[in-house]
Amino acid sequence: MFVIECPWCGPRDQSEFSCGGEAHISRPAERSDMSDEEWAEFVFMRTNAKGLFAERWNHAAGCRRWFNVLRNTSTDEILAVYRMGETPPDVSTGLPATPCGEAEIGSGNDAAKVMVEAADGTTNTRDTV
Amino acid sequence: MPDRRISALAHRTPLQAGDGALSLAERPQVAMRGLRVDAKAANRALKKTKGLALPETPNTSRHTEGVHILWLGPDEWLFLGEVDAVHALRDRLGDGLAQIHHQLLDVRDQNAVIALSGKRAREALMKLTTLDLHPGVFRPGDVAGSLFGRATATLHLLETYDPERDPEFLLIVRRSYADYLWCVLARAGREFGLPDQTPKAGEIMRP
Ligand SMILES: [Zn+2]
Repeated sequence: MFVIECPWCGPRDQSEFSCGGEAHISRPAERSDMSDEEWAEFVFMRTNAKGLFAERWNHAAGCRRWFNVLRNTSTDEILAVYRMGETPPDVSTGLPATPCGEAEIGSGNDAAKVMVEAADGTTNTRDTV
Repeated sequence: MPDRRISALAHRTPLQAGDGALSLAERPQVAMRGLRVDAKAANRALKKTKGLALPETPNTSRHTEGVHILWLGPDEWLFLGEVDAVHALRDRLGDGLAQIHHQLLDVRDQNAVIALSGKRAREALMKLTTLDLHPGVFRPGDVAGSLFGRATATLHLLETYDPERDPEFLLIVRRSYADYLWCVLARAGREFGLPDQTPKAGEIMRP
């Protein structure tokens, strides 16, 4: 649980909010010849960033407005909150130090480590540094 | 034609703690109107014609001519009060906003209003919500939408109450959540002396 600062209501408990996924995905200008791949890219494909991530939140139990949040997905630190239509503020954040240097995407568990094929043909996991 | 509407909590009787520490009652007579309009445009128009104003500060309210005007969102307000007062204000608003794109709806049957008052009212509410209800933070006239138990409701502390007396809170809740909210409020008030209610939660309420 964490506290989110609604741009209108101020800091409130996370239980009042619902997350609407990645922000700043604009609907493509409609064309009759759009392929399934192009539609799928817009409808389904999302980045799964580790670290700085822009996402939409809705203050569902409060003022019921949508707004944007810049959050570090690995530390849950909220770096900025801004209203719909506003430009994301320029912020930077780091990743927490991890002993084995997980991949820059995904959950950081073993499955996300980069698989490399060793010269002798055996498959090993390699730490990304 | 007689008014045959049944309020959401008609099957509940008001509950009162013996020493007046807490009392719980429905306010079935309260009239409600919901307004959606651009705040700046509306207040400009209302200033010119009527001297009426919508509160633009988030989570506040204004008390005008017997009606509480509650801020619900940057372009959304709720009018709450006695039927005659709300009707009078509605007519004046309708005139003032005639030239502006707006929506003014009767939301009385959509919502139920529960009043919780007494010197332990804050404490009883604190058991149900994550809102900061300290007297120095949640002040007379304040409004906040939040979760109470598992139900979404809007909390309003009446600014008309006498500060020497105990606070009176109104909870405006969707009609279908009203009975649940009543039950969790009644349960939260048990430790402050609210009597056991009849019927209890979970029983069949109506024939
Ligand atoms: Zn809000």
